[in-house]
Amino acid sequence: MITDSEPHASKPVLSLSYSVTNFRTLMDRALTMFAILLSLAALFPLFSVLYMLIVRGGALISPSLFSELTPGAGMEGGGIGNALLGTLVVVAIASLLSLPLGLLSAIYLAEYGTESKAAVVVRFAGKVLTGMPSILAGVFAYAAVVVTLGSFSALAGGVAMAVLMVPTVMLTAEQALLAVPSKMKMAALGMGATRTQMVLRVVVPTALPGILTGVMLALARAMGETAPLLFTALFSDYWFEGNVRAPVASLAVLIYNFSGSPFPHLVKLAWAASLVLVSLVLVLNVIAQVVIKRPTEQ
Amino acid sequence: MTQTPSIPRRAVSGCLALVALFAFAGCKKSEAAAEAKPASSATVQAAVAEPVTLQGSGASFPAPVYSRWFREFSGKNPEIRVNYQSTGSGAGIKAFLANQTDFGASDAAMTDDELKQAQGNVILLPVTAGHIVLAYNLEGVKDLKLSREAYAGIFLGDVKKWNDPKIAKANPGVKLPNQDITPVNRSDGSGTTFVFTQHLSAISEKWKSGPGTGKSVNFPAKNAVGGAKNDGATALIQRTAGSLGYIEYVFAATSNQPTALLENKAGKFIAPELKAATQSLAGIELPPDMRAWAPDPAGEEAYPIVTYTWILAKKKYDDKSKADAVKRLLKWCLSDGQNLSESLHYIPLPSAVASTVSKAVDSIE
Repeated sequence: MITDSEPHASKPVLSLSYSVTNFRTLMDRALTMFAILLSLAALFPLFSVLYMLIVRGGALISPSLFSELTPGAGMEGGGIGNALLGTLVVVAIASLLSLPLGLLSAIYLAEYGTESKAAVVVRFAGKVLTGMPSILAGVFAYAAVVVTLGSFSALAGGVAMAVLMVPTVMLTAEQALLAVPSKMKMAALGMGATRTQMVLRVVVPTALPGILTGVMLALARAMGETAPLLFTALFSDYWFEGNVRAPVASLAVLIYNFSGSPFPHLVKLAWAASLVLVSLVLVLNVIAQVVIKRPTEQ
Repeated sequence: MTQTPSIPRRAVSGCLALVALFAFAGCKKSEAAAEAKPASSATVQAAVAEPVTLQGSGASFPAPVYSRWFREFSGKNPEIRVNYQSTGSGAGIKAFLANQTDFGASDAAMTDDELKQAQGNVILLPVTAGHIVLAYNLEGVKDLKLSREAYAGIFLGDVKKWNDPKIAKANPGVKLPNQDITPVNRSDGSGTTFVFTQHLSAISEKWKSGPGTGKSVNFPAKNAVGGAKNDGATALIQRTAGSLGYIEYVFAATSNQPTALLENKAGKFIAPELKAATQSLAGIELPPDMRAWAPDPAGEEAYPIVTYTWILAKKKYDDKSKADAVKRLLKWCLSDGQNLSESLHYIPLPSAVASTVSKAVDSIE
C-alpha cells in the first residue's frame, strides 16, 4: 500500500490477485488462528467451571431444592430455598438503597456538575470504591448497622451489598448518560424543554439500556459476594419472614458453610447452590447484553 | 432522529418490566413463605403466638453437630427457633460479648481477659467434644502405630523417612518404604492446630521450647505443607503420597482416610475410636469454671488428643423467655442430643460430665 501511495514507485510490487502463499495472507491467517486460540483459552475457565457445576450440582436440581430449607449435618434431602430467597431479599434491599443513590449521582455527574470540584471528588471516590476489597464493605456495614442496631440483620447485609453496588451503578450510568448525543439535548432545549425535562424525557430514556447494563453487572457482582455477608447478614436456617432486622440466609454463605463440610450430602448441596448462583448471575449478564444490543439492531 | 428516543423506550419498558417482575417475584415468594409458615405451625402449637429465636455464632468445629441438634430440637419444639452460624471461635466470643448474639461457641473456652469483659455474666458449658487424628497416605500400610517420639519427631522434622527406626520399632512385620514423610498442617489459624500443638507441647520438651502452643505456629519440618481448613488439609493428605497430617476425626471418618494408632500416656497404642476418646474425657476433672483441658489424658485406654468445645451462655438474660428457651435447648442437647453425637462422629459426653454441665444450666436465669 505504501508503495502505491508513493509518487515515484516505478516497479509493480503487489499483484491484485489472491495468493495463499503471499506472506501477508499467511501472516493474516496465522494471527487470526492465534487470536481464536487465545479467545478459546480465555473462555476455557468459564466453560470448565460451568461443566463441573452441571456435572456435580445438576443432579440435585429439582423442585424440592428450591422449596425446602437447608438440612443439618448427617441429614438427607432438604434444599436451598431459604438461601435463594435470602439472596433475593438482600439484593432487593441493596438495590433499593444503591440504585437511587447511584443513578441520581450519575445524573449530577453527567449533566449538572460535570467539571465541578464535587464531581471530581465523587468520581475519584467512586473509582477507588470499585477496587475496594468486598470484605471492607462488610466491615463498614458491620460498624454502621450491626453495632448500631445490636444484631446481625438482612438490612446490614443489604447495606454492605449497596456499598459494593453504588460505584458500579454510578460510573456506568455516567458513561451511558455522557454517550447521549449533544444534538438531541440541544434539540430538546431548542424546543423549549426545561433542563429537568430534557434530562428526564430525553437523556435518561436514551441512556437507559446502558444504565441497566451497569445495574445488572452490579447486581451480578453483589450476588456472588460471601465475605461482606458473613458478618452482617450471617445465615438463617429458616425462611425470611419479612423481618429485615433478623439474620437471613444467602446462597454465597451457604456455599461457604457447606463446601468444606465433611458430610457428602452437604457438599453436594453446595455444588447445586453454586450452579443456581452462577445461573442467576449468567442470566443477569445475558439480560444486560441483550439490553445493550437491542437499539443498534433496529 | 425523531425515531431514536422511541426505540430504546421499548427496550427500556421491557427491562423495567423485567426488573419489576424480579422484585415482585421476590416479594411474592416472601409473602407466600410468611403465610405458609404460621399456617403450618399454627396446627402444631395453637397457644404460642411468637416463636422465640435464639441466635448463636462461633466455633466452626462443632457447627455440624450444633446445626443438627438445633434443627432436631426446633422440630420437636416449634415455639423455639435456634440459628447458628460458624464464624470461628474468636469472632463468636466477640459477637457474644457485644451482645449481638444470644449465645456463643468457642473451641478454646474463654481467656481470663475475655471473662473479665463479660463482667461475670457468662457461663461456659462444654456440650460436646472431639478428637484429632493423624491421617496418613502410605500405600499398603494399615493400622500404622506411632509412638510419641515418632509423631512428635515427624512434625519437628527429626523423623524424615517412613522407614525410620523410631517408626519401625512400633510396627514389627510391617514393610515401611524408604520414602520421605510429608507433614501436612493447617495453613490458617485454627483451634485444631491449637489443640494439637498443646498436646505436642505436653509430650515433647523440644516442641514446647520450639514451636510451642498456638492457633498457628511455625512448623519446623522443612518439607511441611499447609492446607486451608480441615477439608483442605484432608484433600492434601489424600493426594500427597507419603503424607501425614492432623485433622478432626469426622473428616477422616467420612473420607475413609487411614488413621494412625497413637501411643498414649500409659504407653499403649490406641486407635482413634469414639469409645477411646470418651475414655479420655472421663479422666478429665471439670473445674467450677468448666475450662478443662486435657493435653495428655491419663487412662489405659484413653486416646491422647481430645478436646471439649464450649457454648457460652449468659448467666442472666434480660428476656425471661430467652432464658427459658436457652435452658430447654441446652438441657435437650445434654440429654437426647448426645445420642446423635456418635452418628456425626463427635464424642458423646460421659454421663457424669453431662449431669455436671446440666446442673450448671439450671443456674441460668
